[in-house]
Amino acid sequence: MSSRPSALLSATFWEPGYEHLVEPVHQRDAAAVRRLASLDVAIHDESGKELASLPEDPGREILDLDRLVRDVAGADGRVMVLFDARYDERVFPYRPHHYAYLHRRGSTAPALYYAVNAVLGGVPERIGAAGLNNFETYVFRTSPFEERYSLLLGNVARFSTAEAEVFLHYERDRDTRNVTLGPKAHVEVDLPAERAGQRLRRVEVKGLFRLASYVVGRRAAGGELVLFDHLFRYFT
Amino acid sequence: MSVAPPPPALDDALLCYCTNVTIGELREACRAGRWPTAGKEETGRLCTGCAGDLLLCLRWFGGEPAA
Repeated sequence: MSSRPSALLSATFWEPGYEHLVEPVHQRDAAAVRRLASLDVAIHDESGKELASLPEDPGREILDLDRLVRDVAGADGRVMVLFDARYDERVFPYRPHHYAYLHRRGSTAPALYYAVNAVLGGVPERIGAAGLNNFETYVFRTSPFEERYSLLLGNVARFSTAEAEVFLHYERDRDTRNVTLGPKAHVEVDLPAERAGQRLRRVEVKGLFRLASYVVGRRAAGGELVLFDHLFRYFT
Repeated sequence: MSVAPPPPALDDALLCYCTNVTIGELREACRAGRWPTAGKEETGRLCTGCAGDLLLCLRWFGGEPAA
């Protein structure tokens, strides 16, 4: 084991108008509160430009992401928020996932709870996965619903541009979108729920490098988020 | 997009979050002609999120790209 703390970089996306709270560590035992060694938060606009880099108190139970981001100059649309956590592997034998609460202010839509997408780190040999690839997928429910779907993709790399293919699987047909993202850049890719009378069944993202990725559903009327979930990776 | 090699001021920054390799360690290992160092053979190959950065750094630092 390295003397250096283990590291995990997770990503989410913020947009204005929502209560958005992040729980850096889900405490399961009141008598044995666990804490990260450190937690740094970075905020990037759509082009990848860093708008802020903020060291946070790693002992904080809840991070008010909306309050944090809305005071940052330039954060007037969607931003990508990166959480760089360092932790002691003896305290967190597995990755210290962050969890979040998301709800549009004043909306009648139910609140969303989601696991923040762990993008970099925490996949040493100790989890026993071999033959990893970069196929990620999300399966949509079969019944029609008044939602507009999209995919949020972010490149967390420091220097390199990332390319990815997005496959939209309909009942019989398939559609493909190509995405190119500079370092720390992010994009929302529209996923039409229907194509030639066929429902969208599944979406897949394939790339050489792992990206931050969420599937998003918005109410057709009003546009508030009713689905916000990271894609799932194939482990082989 | 940044295409310039990282300055030494970034040497403490983590490159691979899975194997804990910093930019400075990679730079030094390449300079000494001993990349990958023992125990760091899987750098860039686990979560793969840093693979693009790793390949660029290997090119900049004169290391051999991972096979």
